[in-house]
Amino acid sequence: MILAAAIAFFLQAPPDTLAPAAVYAVKELPVVRATETVQVDTLVQTPRAVADLLRVFTGVQVKDYGGAGGLKTVNVRSLGSEHVGIFLDGIQVDNAQNMQVDLGRFSTDGLGSVSLYNGQKTSRLQTAKEYASGAAVHLESAVPVTSGGRVRLRGGTLGSVNPSVLWDQRLSGRLMLRTSADFLYSAGRYKYPCFDTTLVRENGDIRSLRLEAQLFGRVQGGAWQVRVYGYGSERGFPGPVIRRLSFPFSAERQADQDLFVQGGWTQEWTGRYSTAIRFKYANNYTHYNTHPEKNPMALPYNLHYRQQSGYFSLAQSFVLAGPCSLDLSTDVQRSALDSDVGQFVTPRRTTFTGALATRVVWSRFRAAAHLVYEGAWDHFASPQAGGWSRTNTYRDSWMPSLSLFWAPLPWLEADAFVKRSYRLPSFNDLYYSLMGNANLVPEAALQVGADVRLAFHPGVWELDLRVSPYYNRVSNKIVAIPTLSQFRWTMLNVGLVDITGADVKASAAWHSGPWRASGTLRYSFQQALDHSTPGSQTWGNQIPYIPCHSGSVSLGLGWKDLAFTWDSSFTGGRWSRTANTPDYYLVPWSLSSATAQYILRFPGRAAAGRSLLLGVTIDNVFNTPYQIVQGYPMPGLNAQLSATFRW
Amino acid sequence: MKKALLLFTFGVLSVVACRKTFVPGTPTKDASLEGESVSVAEFPADVKKIFVLNEGQMGANNATLDFLRRSDGQYITGAFKKMNPSAAAGLGDVGNDIAIHDDNVWMVINNSGLVEVVSAADETELATIEIPTPRAIAFDDKYAYVTSWAGAFATYEGYEVTDSANPKGCVYRIDLNTYKTAGTVEVGYQPEGIAYYGGKLYVANSGGISSQLPPLYAYDNTVSVIDTKTFAVTRTVEVQVNLKNVYADGKGHIFVSTLGNYFDVHSGLYVFLADAPDQVTHVTRDFLKHTHVSCSFALGDEVYCIGTENEFAFNEKHVYTLWSYNAVKNKLSLYPVDLGGVPYGMAVLEDSIGLHTLLVGDAGDYFNPGTVTCYRLYDLQDKVWSVTAGVCPGHFAVWK
Repeated sequence: MILAAAIAFFLQAPPDTLAPAAVYAVKELPVVRATETVQVDTLVQTPRAVADLLRVFTGVQVKDYGGAGGLKTVNVRSLGSEHVGIFLDGIQVDNAQNMQVDLGRFSTDGLGSVSLYNGQKTSRLQTAKEYASGAAVHLESAVPVTSGGRVRLRGGTLGSVNPSVLWDQRLSGRLMLRTSADFLYSAGRYKYPCFDTTLVRENGDIRSLRLEAQLFGRVQGGAWQVRVYGYGSERGFPGPVIRRLSFPFSAERQADQDLFVQGGWTQEWTGRYSTAIRFKYANNYTHYNTHPEKNPMALPYNLHYRQQSGYFSLAQSFVLAGPCSLDLSTDVQRSALDSDVGQFVTPRRTTFTGALATRVVWSRFRAAAHLVYEGAWDHFASPQAGGWSRTNTYRDSWMPSLSLFWAPLPWLEADAFVKRSYRLPSFNDLYYSLMGNANLVPEAALQVGADVRLAFHPGVWELDLRVSPYYNRVSNKIVAIPTLSQFRWTMLNVGLVDITGADVKASAAWHSGPWRASGTLRYSFQQALDHSTPGSQTWGNQIPYIPCHSGSVSLGLGWKDLAFTWDSSFTGGRWSRTANTPDYYLVPWSLSSATAQYILRFPGRAAAGRSLLLGVTIDNVFNTPYQIVQGYPMPGLNAQLSATFRW
Repeated sequence: MKKALLLFTFGVLSVVACRKTFVPGTPTKDASLEGESVSVAEFPADVKKIFVLNEGQMGANNATLDFLRRSDGQYITGAFKKMNPSAAAGLGDVGNDIAIHDDNVWMVINNSGLVEVVSAADETELATIEIPTPRAIAFDDKYAYVTSWAGAFATYEGYEVTDSANPKGCVYRIDLNTYKTAGTVEVGYQPEGIAYYGGKLYVANSGGISSQLPPLYAYDNTVSVIDTKTFAVTRTVEVQVNLKNVYADGKGHIFVSTLGNYFDVHSGLYVFLADAPDQVTHVTRDFLKHTHVSCSFALGDEVYCIGTENEFAFNEKHVYTLWSYNAVKNKLSLYPVDLGGVPYGMAVLEDSIGLHTLLVGDAGDYFNPGTVTCYRLYDLQDKVWSVTAGVCPGHFAVWK
């Protein structure tokens, strides 16, 4: 399941001299490094869902409802998924309605890297939103450099077919066009143990089509890109596994149509002054239907939602003196949600985010600090005696952060950060009439963390060790728990959660002639304790769905164009309630997957650069029954085959 | 769910290990079940058990049945699972109503789509009757009657389905001898409570889903009156929006509690005469302006309600008070005490010399196990005891 990282290491393409960083960004050294980064090499690597890449990272929990169509969200160090910003080329992928970004909809196709930041990313010319999120996952596009293309066919034993095509075309010396298309069908049928019997998961099928075009351009001292993205899907929600006699668990269907246009232009005007402009328009339409005519248990909902947002960001960076720079980023966003739900309040939100950031960078000592102000005006219809009227509310917050880096020895470096961030309640949290006029307090996160990294490179060996202790405090935490369907939630102000944890990652790699081998060991300890109400039965208990111990082992072996990887992950005991009683204990599980991959390179000058990549992946090798979310069984043993031809 | 997972694992292991069939252990003797000990000294002598149905959380399959035993004061949680170990899926998802008839306990398990019948003596399973989205239950001599939201989407035989944008609900009839469904009748939108009096059934229609649906976005505000002989609706009585529970005091009064629309119509209690349903009275008094209803319970002539002062203040801490109404005496009584917590269900007991005991199910955060707290009605300031129940202890039934 978690192979891409290891494969990337094995089949690393030679470093590209025209890599995006060289073209795009002002030269800089990081103050806080990404906690984990995976270089995605789409040319030599079986593409995986972003969720599958993140799953293995230390401190990360991917919540997964199972199957290709099941919602997948990411939680980092128990902060909650709403505190984890997902950024595509620096622009946040957001969802004002429920703040749940479904990672299942992102493919590594066309990406250059996927990075996780626990501390603050400190590079220059970031958007203000990048400073304002707790933890962040950054998806960066790969900039194509030559004309070429790729056709891929993937399929799996869970009844999935996934053909895709990607085409890069050089339009001029300074202009590249990348277009891609991706179709997915998955039947979503798999066997699972249901109480004392075995059933097949029903109504978990999905069809989706993604069409994308990206234009990359270069100008004197700068670069720009524009992306047009269209995504349509139609899927079923299989529903939680509960006691039923003959009625189905669910007949719910959802259709989505997502469209966005986004772009950016980074320009270095002088050696001391540079700017970045970014913009986005997004339009997301959702149709949700419970189909009561197919399921007598369904409540007769047939609802439509349309969410629109417009976003503009200007980032400016000044070099004050050699090692010292100052950034000012200002973002404005407008979000709107419309629906035919009864008593729907049609919320509109205008958000202003401003960030002032500074960095001091020497080679062995570096520091960065920022201060963010975020204010949000909500404008919505509200029920008053005698009728409805529109109301305004304003919420704002200040978010400071400080990061330090010190490299006392060539093989030893350490960084530390402290950061306060804050997330606005979503429209659903605040205004969803079905959940009873929830009026939740905003949620604040304080993060304190440190990293110690050791790196040794004796001969053909590469040895790395990272130890990252941390402390987080989330106050007024809003916890979303799935109810009858993934579309509706129970919102809960758990209040105060103290999270103490440590991530450890040790890796070793060896390279000799045509042989390569590597091993990575990851371990996370997380104690996420509810400290909401002293004296309550849940005070001092572990919050739901967070394992105290989790970890993984990844092993890889490569010879020439052949590579094998093995991954095993372990998730310790968890509870599905804050009441840590035996009734709500979820037993630990461990999962393994294996992959084999071979690149067939076509000989001869005429076929230069042409290759066929063949891959087979076996997930859940030991057919372990498990559930990440209670009531949502995950697939057992299954295999996927892929063939990618590139030219 | 841990048990479910263990059973998953166990199931798989048992298949691997020689395919042994799962043999449930000898069911525990009900009398040997142990729980938390509480004081029942002031409970009426004729009470044998007080059953508490915990709703659980929708989708979590964690409805549970608790009971308090009068003989030794043991409060036992999860009794259904303990007494029916072979029922691997447990009681089911969302316990919505509980009632006792002929020494049997009838439980309406809403999101599992079934009515579960167990023996009151030892909670062993007697029958399971499948009914789509069942809500509440009432009885006459021959039948049990269950309200259901499925209405137009299901008929009782073979669940033949039809289509409509905003279907009305219905009442299913269950033969008490065969435990089989025996007919349905259509009522209003999303029927909730149901009561039997004098050959008629009174059904409270809520319109809880209808209020969310275009084009009307409207709650129902009617009681459907069903003649049990013809099993047909004979009239509808307009009350107020979003009806919840119905009680008959056995003396001709029909009580209806309403939830209101959550922003400009408050919850409340209404009463009308079975003989003159045209005249509906809102039970309220000048000295007690906010006679709102969060939960209610009928004992003889008296309907007890727990309500809060301003239920529209969604983000404020609520002060819950107890009040009661007796239609025969036309008397409204207030018990001035702050009950605290989140009262979600209640029961009132009366002993032979007229002393009352109040049991309140507190839902807490609606997510973790709640509590059942015992008060004396003549001294509400002090809790007698409090025990941990299941998630959302919302429904009580007293077995005498």
